[in-house]
Amino acid sequence: MVPLEYYLVLSSAIFCIGLFGILTRRNALYFLMSVELMMNAAILNLVAFSLHWGNLTGQTFALFAIALAAAEVAVGIGIILALYRNFGDIDVMDATTMRW
Amino acid sequence: MVSAFSYVPAIVLLPFISFLVALFGRENLPKKGAYGGIAATAGSLLLSIWVFFSVRGGTVHEETYYTWATGVGDQAWELTFGALIDPLSSLMLVIVTLIALLVHVFSLGYMNDEGETDLPRYYAGLGLFTASMLGFVIADNLLMAFIFFELVGLCSFLLIGFWYRRDSPPSAAKKAFLVTRFGDYFFLIGVVAVFTTFGTAAFAGPESFPALAEQALNGTVDVWTPGDLGVETWFTIIGLLILGGVIGKSAQFPLHTWLPDAMQGPTPVSALIHAATMVAAGVYLVARMYGFYVLTPTTMAIIALVGGFTALFAATMGVVKKEIKQVLAYSTISQYGYMMLALGAGSYVAATFHLMTHAFFKALLFLGAGAVIIAMHHNENMWDMGGLKNKMPVTYLTFLAGSLALAGIAPFSGFWSKDEILYEAFIYGLNDPILLTGWIFGLLAVPVTAFYTFRMVFLTFHGNPRTETARNPEPLGWNVKGPLSVLGVLAVVAGFVNMVPVQKLTGVELDYLTQWLDSGAEGLTYSGYNALLAEYAGYEAGVVAGSETTTLLIAAGLGLGLAVVGVLVALSLYNVDEPVEHTDKLGGAKDVLYNNYYQDEFQVWLSARTQDVAGVADTFDQGVVDGVVNGVSSVSLVGGDRIRRIQTGIVGNYALLLTLGLTALLVVFALLGGWI
Repeated sequence: MVPLEYYLVLSSAIFCIGLFGILTRRNALYFLMSVELMMNAAILNLVAFSLHWGNLTGQTFALFAIALAAAEVAVGIGIILALYRNFGDIDVMDATTMRW
Repeated sequence: MVSAFSYVPAIVLLPFISFLVALFGRENLPKKGAYGGIAATAGSLLLSIWVFFSVRGGTVHEETYYTWATGVGDQAWELTFGALIDPLSSLMLVIVTLIALLVHVFSLGYMNDEGETDLPRYYAGLGLFTASMLGFVIADNLLMAFIFFELVGLCSFLLIGFWYRRDSPPSAAKKAFLVTRFGDYFFLIGVVAVFTTFGTAAFAGPESFPALAEQALNGTVDVWTPGDLGVETWFTIIGLLILGGVIGKSAQFPLHTWLPDAMQGPTPVSALIHAATMVAAGVYLVARMYGFYVLTPTTMAIIALVGGFTALFAATMGVVKKEIKQVLAYSTISQYGYMMLALGAGSYVAATFHLMTHAFFKALLFLGAGAVIIAMHHNENMWDMGGLKNKMPVTYLTFLAGSLALAGIAPFSGFWSKDEILYEAFIYGLNDPILLTGWIFGLLAVPVTAFYTFRMVFLTFHGNPRTETARNPEPLGWNVKGPLSVLGVLAVVAGFVNMVPVQKLTGVELDYLTQWLDSGAEGLTYSGYNALLAEYAGYEAGVVAGSETTTLLIAAGLGLGLAVVGVLVALSLYNVDEPVEHTDKLGGAKDVLYNNYYQDEFQVWLSARTQDVAGVADTFDQGVVDGVVNGVSSVSLVGGDRIRRIQTGIVGNYALLLTLGLTALLVVFALLGGWI
């Protein structure tokens, strides 16, 4: 059986890749994909710990989280469309009007 | 059986409802709210009469309606609204509601028929005024009395300033409010002192503050006093603090200056203020808590001295006035001085008696003056009148009855009450020089009172008409003559309820009012007060030449004789066809009297001196008190302004901040949690 640490290392790696994407990319689509990566890293953790403790609750939770992520993508793409319509671009650094 | 006492709240609430109706009904009401007010005060009057007769036989009703705050911890104090219905308050209820009803009716003639505008505001004010005074009368504790005392002051402010578009009424209203407020500050401190000392402010019962004060003086009960102050000294201070409010409201020297200016209000309001409500409130308060005042002889002496002095002081100013209402204003101050003298001299019954007779004849005189003012097209100068007695006989006769009562001519009501005051002040004064001084002041004021009263009568009604308006005065309606007739009868007969001198001479039982005030709750009766007076204040009645009858005859003879002298002087000077001013004979005193002893100037001078103190207080308030508050808010404002700069709107920055924050948290946890 694959030890827990392997899963955790993989999960951390995916999380860091996602974080890196968020901090460096300006394109909203890349942004969304990076967020999805971080989310999947978290779900991976859930499944890994579920396997480790022999408790199925974590896996069930993971299924719900995946469904939730799908819904979130729909919302995210909607936001990106609105962004394009309003600014003619999907560069997230341009949309700075919603502040004081 | 239905008890009258269950309707006591209704007595207060009915005028309050008329206030609300007039306030919200505005111009749609019939007669602009007058009928509502008349109905409400008539209802209150009927209920008051019922209550009055239920009190007969010594029944006292005390009830708490609402407790709005209770003490926490071991302090058991309660702040309540309640009613204390005893002979004194039930008598006062009848007086107040009767005068209020007649004033409402008279207002139909004085305000509605004269085409005044904005009358719902006027009737709303009258309703609230009556309701506040009635609430004050039934109050069963000092704090409730204080609350309604203030409401009465507020209403007088609203009504004196009713014609707010003219120049002088608003400033007169402001003056009345500020001067009485000045006295009320002391009253408020006194209320707090009573609560701190006794833990209760109830007027009646074994747990009331007068009863506790007596036990504290006996040494049977411990009360709180500040520092090492003796109990008696402390009670004197409390008594004087509360007296501050009384002096302001009852227009005693030196806080009397607001009252003559208050003549700027509509005349029916003046009648209400002077006869039954605002000014009466002060004297009533002393009578209400008389059980406390009799314990401290110093306070009693001050009350007597202030009262006696005011009686003479105000009477002298009334001598030179030209406006009919001004004369009446100074006579009010003077008459309330008599009541204070009576209270200070220990004659609770005489003070209440004079409060009652004065309410009737002064309301009559004011309404009579109002009738004259209507007839004269709102000219108040007596030198423009003259010869009105043939044109307006009802007004003349009733006004004459009121004047005879005010001057203290037997057998009109004012004679009996004033005579009783002077007699009591005299017999106690024989053993007490301070009371004797008060008595001399009071006695000297008698001829002056009779003089200015009849100067007013002769100038207004006798002689030849001096202007065209006086030759053809405006006719008066029933709503003017009706109230005048009722009060005219009362001014004649009200004195017969307590003819003590006649009883003493003939032995026939005639002291109904004394018996009335002697019934009721233990500790709130006339004989109870007398026992306390003898025990604590050391008041002892003296006699002249060893005979009570001689003393009585001397006192009554002096009072009546001096009054007749005053009338005769007025008769010889002013009862001529073409009267002229005789004020020049007064020499230098004339200017002093015209300018009211420069009291107003003195107060202005005093306030100019104290302006620096007020300026410092203002600087402190603006700088330190407001500064702290503003400082706190400006810290938030500036801080918020700076901190909002981190909201760039760039999503990358937020992500970076989040990440850095998470990292920082992890580092902190690692260091503190010992993960490393």
